[in-house]
Amino acid sequence: MDVLNSLLNGFQTALSLQNLYLCFIGCLWGTMVGVLPGIGPLAGITLLIPATFGLSATGAIIMLAGIYYGAMYGGSTTSVLMNVPGESASVVTCLDGYQMTLKGRGGAALFISAWGSWMGGTLSVIGLMVLAPTLANVAMKFGPPEMFAVLLVAFILLGSLGSGSFFRTMPMVFLGLLIGTIGMDPLTGSMRFTHEITDLYDGIGLLPVAMGAMGIGEILVATEESLVRVIHKIKFSELWPTRQELKASWGPIFRGSGIGFVIGLLPGSAHVLSSFVSYMTERKLAKRPEEFGTGRIEGVAGPETANNAASGSAMIPFLSLGIPTGPAPAVMMIALLIHGIQPGPLFISKHPDVFWGLIASMYIGNVVLIILNVPLVGIFVSLLRIPFRILFPVILLICLVGTYSVNTSIFELSVLLCFGVLGYFIRKIKYDIAPLILAMIIGPTMELSLRQALMRSDGSFLIFWESPITMTLIAASCLLLGWNIYRALRPTAASWEKALEEGK
Amino acid sequence: MGHSPTPGLVHLIEGEEIRMTKDRAAGLLFLCSGLYGFYFSFQLPMGRWNEPGPGVFPFLLSLLLLLSGAAWFVRGRPRAAEKGGREKTEGLPFIKNISTPLKIVALTALFILLFNRVGYLISSSLYLFVLLLWVSRYRVAVSAGLAVAIGAGSWYFFAKILAVSLPQGLLPF
Repeated sequence: MDVLNSLLNGFQTALSLQNLYLCFIGCLWGTMVGVLPGIGPLAGITLLIPATFGLSATGAIIMLAGIYYGAMYGGSTTSVLMNVPGESASVVTCLDGYQMTLKGRGGAALFISAWGSWMGGTLSVIGLMVLAPTLANVAMKFGPPEMFAVLLVAFILLGSLGSGSFFRTMPMVFLGLLIGTIGMDPLTGSMRFTHEITDLYDGIGLLPVAMGAMGIGEILVATEESLVRVIHKIKFSELWPTRQELKASWGPIFRGSGIGFVIGLLPGSAHVLSSFVSYMTERKLAKRPEEFGTGRIEGVAGPETANNAASGSAMIPFLSLGIPTGPAPAVMMIALLIHGIQPGPLFISKHPDVFWGLIASMYIGNVVLIILNVPLVGIFVSLLRIPFRILFPVILLICLVGTYSVNTSIFELSVLLCFGVLGYFIRKIKYDIAPLILAMIIGPTMELSLRQALMRSDGSFLIFWESPITMTLIAASCLLLGWNIYRALRPTAASWEKALEEGK
Repeated sequence: MGHSPTPGLVHLIEGEEIRMTKDRAAGLLFLCSGLYGFYFSFQLPMGRWNEPGPGVFPFLLSLLLLLSGAAWFVRGRPRAAEKGGREKTEGLPFIKNISTPLKIVALTALFILLFNRVGYLISSSLYLFVLLLWVSRYRVAVSAGLAVAIGAGSWYFFAKILAVSLPQGLLPF
């Protein structure tokens, strides 16, 4: 009953005229950034952060969350119609979605993709509603050793499941953690790596780092490429799937919801991973797996459902533990911090209006998105006609003004540019920048937990082996670390063959 | 050696081509960051295990970065594909296309320098004008028109609608 009452209160908040408007704007902007290749949900969220300064925390998070899950809906449109993924999670959708378009079934692919996105999104909000308060209650009992152990597992999982290999991701994590130590030490007040620059005393701002590394870095890479765009037009009458297509989609949609929800809880590239796992699952379950890649509706329904389900469940660790599992939740966390709200175990009990308002808005937002994405798909596709050479200067300017507006600091603009260059460089060498940002955000909590735990135990590391929670988490970390080392060192089949040949 | 010069070529040492691979570049980044962290964290109080000082965490991270950096630097070394010694490595991938990002970075740095001095409206319009003209390759008139329109529009949006405090500079608003 408590959940139901809280949800009703949430609907009261979300259905206020202002919050409804913000939810709509978020969904609309999210769909737009999802459609436009080169601007992902992350850039979409960061660009609108300055617009949230005058809003309440509830309004701000409702709008930013709308962009986040809206981008997942929009990303499929260009994958299906142009074979260009609007954002990374829609890469898999290109395989069968575009083939369906070539066969004249692009409209049906878009409809099923929107339908699956709605189902996945709504089911994951139900999961979020049930699981987040439970997890927050458990986390309230966490002391520094438990918190350190949770963060340790999170980082090792991030390394294991991230888009790069474990040994490529972990240095980025270390670098992010090191950058996170810049500024005043919270326990002793000593200055670290500040070189007497007063702007660094409070540490490096998270927003210029996120906006620079993700926004400016992405733009710099995108300006190198020119996209040749062939847009297939879709008529409204072509949107309806056949009965056979509808029947074939049900299974993938339900399986995709489950897969996406579970993978969304894990740190790393959850959206991309969930859509790949869903695609592979459908392929394995299919009677004729060889037909995948030639325009099977299951290849669209499963992945598109999974990436939307993942966006809902990715909010659980971020809201209830204060641990963002991906760059987009990390930026939403920054936005909440700017509004003076600290996500974590106390978030739901301290700010029930914000949490339940967000949950209710996500139900509403998913309905708004299906209305926006099915009949209005043609309008969104026409956005692709805006030349990128006009779009990128505008985005750059918004990034610059957005960063400046937080603290009216020129120093932060320099940080933005430096991290833009770093983001560009890291993209070019095919490393993932997201772990660096996540580590930078979570790092200070991790360090504080480690030092507090050691102070409590009088310097004994056995404190991490005392409670069942820490024991389990530390054991899981060791196992994961061991597994990753084994995977990296084991000889591959090719090297065995070579060694055998040389032996002859 | 008889190798033709490639975009990835960055050094010539005793006739041997040293090509930076992506991993080697990453290794260098981690090594430099690790060295920096190592040097400066060493100057911070380390404390004891029962009261860890502010230097412990950055020191450990710097060590890990140094190790990772060294590992990637060595692993990313140019490898001989066959006994003849022809290297099979990928060159620095951004040598070819770096001019556009470089122009953007230079212009953005200039914009940041001018921002407080001449004010938002003038600096943003100038920034957009040069970007549109030099990078996007629009005609002068089109670039000027777009720059003024976007600059003024963004000023109205941020300063008037969102009430962001933007520098006035040379203009009275």
